[in-house]
Amino acid sequence: MGKRLAGMFWALLFLAVPVLGVAVFAIAPSINVWLPKDVSEHGASIDSLFYFILALTGVVFIATEVLLFWFMWKYDAAKNTGPATYIHGSHTLEVVWTIIPAATLLFLAIYQMNAWADVKMRRPQMQPTVEVVARQFEWRLRYPGRDGMLGTPDDLHLVNDLHLPIDEDILVQLKSMDVLHSFFLPHVRIKQDAVPGMKIPVWFKATETGAFDIVCAELCGWGHYKMKGRVTFVTRPEFENWLERKYAEQEATQPSLDTVTVN
Amino acid sequence: MRSGTSQLRFDAFRRSLAAVVGCLALLAATGCGRTPAASFRPNMVEATKQRLTPDQEQQVATILLAMFGTPDEPVCLPEAGLDEAKLRLAAGPVRSDIAGRKNGLYREHCAHCHGVTGDGLGPTAAFLNPYPRDYRPGVFKFKSTERADKPTDQDLVRILHNGIVGTSMPSFALLSDLEIEALTEYVKYLSIRGETEIELVRAFFELDDEDEGKLPETREFLIDEMLATVAEKWRSAAEAEIAVPEMPADIDLAASIAKGKELFYGDKANCVKCHGVTGLGDGQANDYDDWNKAIVQWSQEVAGDQDPAWASRATQVLAGDALRPRTIPPRNLRQGLYRGGRRPLDIYYRIHAGINGAPMPAAAGTVAPEDIWHIVNYVRSLPYDFDGELGIDRPMIAKGD
Repeated sequence: MGKRLAGMFWALLFLAVPVLGVAVFAIAPSINVWLPKDVSEHGASIDSLFYFILALTGVVFIATEVLLFWFMWKYDAAKNTGPATYIHGSHTLEVVWTIIPAATLLFLAIYQMNAWADVKMRRPQMQPTVEVVARQFEWRLRYPGRDGMLGTPDDLHLVNDLHLPIDEDILVQLKSMDVLHSFFLPHVRIKQDAVPGMKIPVWFKATETGAFDIVCAELCGWGHYKMKGRVTFVTRPEFENWLERKYAEQEATQPSLDTVTVN
Repeated sequence: MRSGTSQLRFDAFRRSLAAVVGCLALLAATGCGRTPAASFRPNMVEATKQRLTPDQEQQVATILLAMFGTPDEPVCLPEAGLDEAKLRLAAGPVRSDIAGRKNGLYREHCAHCHGVTGDGLGPTAAFLNPYPRDYRPGVFKFKSTERADKPTDQDLVRILHNGIVGTSMPSFALLSDLEIEALTEYVKYLSIRGETEIELVRAFFELDDEDEGKLPETREFLIDEMLATVAEKWRSAAEAEIAVPEMPADIDLAASIAKGKELFYGDKANCVKCHGVTGLGDGQANDYDDWNKAIVQWSQEVAGDQDPAWASRATQVLAGDALRPRTIPPRNLRQGLYRGGRRPLDIYYRIHAGINGAPMPAAAGTVAPEDIWHIVNYVRSLPYDFDGELGIDRPMIAKGD
């Protein structure tokens, strides 16, 4: 009796994996641990790829796990007292289960190429909107100022508080001052490593106003967890007002203009 | 045999399951975040330097405990002039209060570098260059007041907002105003506590014979003389802001920069001595800041001391309570990284008052205020190689209103 119970216990324990696995995915969106709101133009194509791959792997996951349960249940040693039979294997079966995943992977690789090219290859031909320099443990920002060029005296220097206009191409020039970081805008579906010694272009188009997180997605040291910034998407006129105001603060020559947000 | 083995395995599994459940129950009963109560670390360098006896060290600790409390339970005497509600928000272990507001901000954001005591000896401190600030001497670099004065609250807020680029101090710009104020209040608390401690330790030196080597534990001495003197320096900082004259409007930028260049290389301002002929910070570069200089000088004293017992104790203190001294290179002015802020106003303050605790001297007194503005303009032009192209369609200095 004990042996039979033990066999059932293990089979049911393995069945709990697909059951709980599916339950977690079913509950997640309703308790707000699902994908954050998408406020980018290209985000929908990334999300649909994500859902497509999730569905594909989800079906395979459930099938594999249920099969595993079924084998454990059916071939429990307590019920099957006869000797085991040995088989050599099935060449056909092996070919099938190699070709199907290989074809699936190849299909995915081709299917996602356009989305990849949009995000990583088809860079808009323009001057950077802003330079983001990652540093342990903050995001240093530099706007080109009125002349549209970085590295000139009218640059605007800020930290952690990124503002950008919506409904137009944004080109970020990403750098790192010290180690590897990763510039991650979850709501814009953008994630790009910042590599010391490289200027990496990152581009996107935001579609909604509001304030969203910038987080570091590459373990960069002990303060990685607090390397957090904020991106605020505003309309073009608001963006220009904000730039003007920040620039005036940066160029203050009297404490009457004393504000704390400009470095 | 086979089924016996599986039965054994199943028993083992049941036992380990029971053990896990037991551990979880124990954890639920005792709490998992419980750490021993935090305590302030005594200023051993100062106490050993002044050759305090263990009894005297104990007396200082007792007085400080009564005056300032512990890191978890700060005491806020009215004479310290601090806001108790803000202090409590920043003090103690990291937790949320009933309203869901984050408490223990200092330990969350600052203590790993600046230390629970504010002695700049947190666990990450030794890996940083420059070292994190030790608040205890009450010396702060980047402020709008004269060299020897304390910073204003607003100065500390600015540093928290902007961080200090070129050092390991990051920006805390996304914290709420209340959180930033709580943290600056707590920094002031640690600084007042640390400075009072140093004053107390040094007061043993001025005792009379009838005091029998003990500090008088009277209100007049401890509160009115020791604490109030330190606190008053912080209180008066708010009124001690440097008056900044308007930038001379009758001179154009290119001419101002040329004038500033002349002053930079001239005898009076003599910036070139440390910042170098190229402005790369390659002039005199073997100096220490005050914090490191104190350790260097004391190490030399210890090495030359005749009392082997004291010298060996002092060597231990140096190893455990001080970081290996580092020189402070003069700033490379061509990088465009301004630690105390990049506003023309910030650079004006730096040149006018110098940098307290660092070798950078005050120019006020030797250089006229409008000349300081010329130096500001020159310094701000250094990261960009202009050579005459200046000012065309790119106003470098937008006039304030």
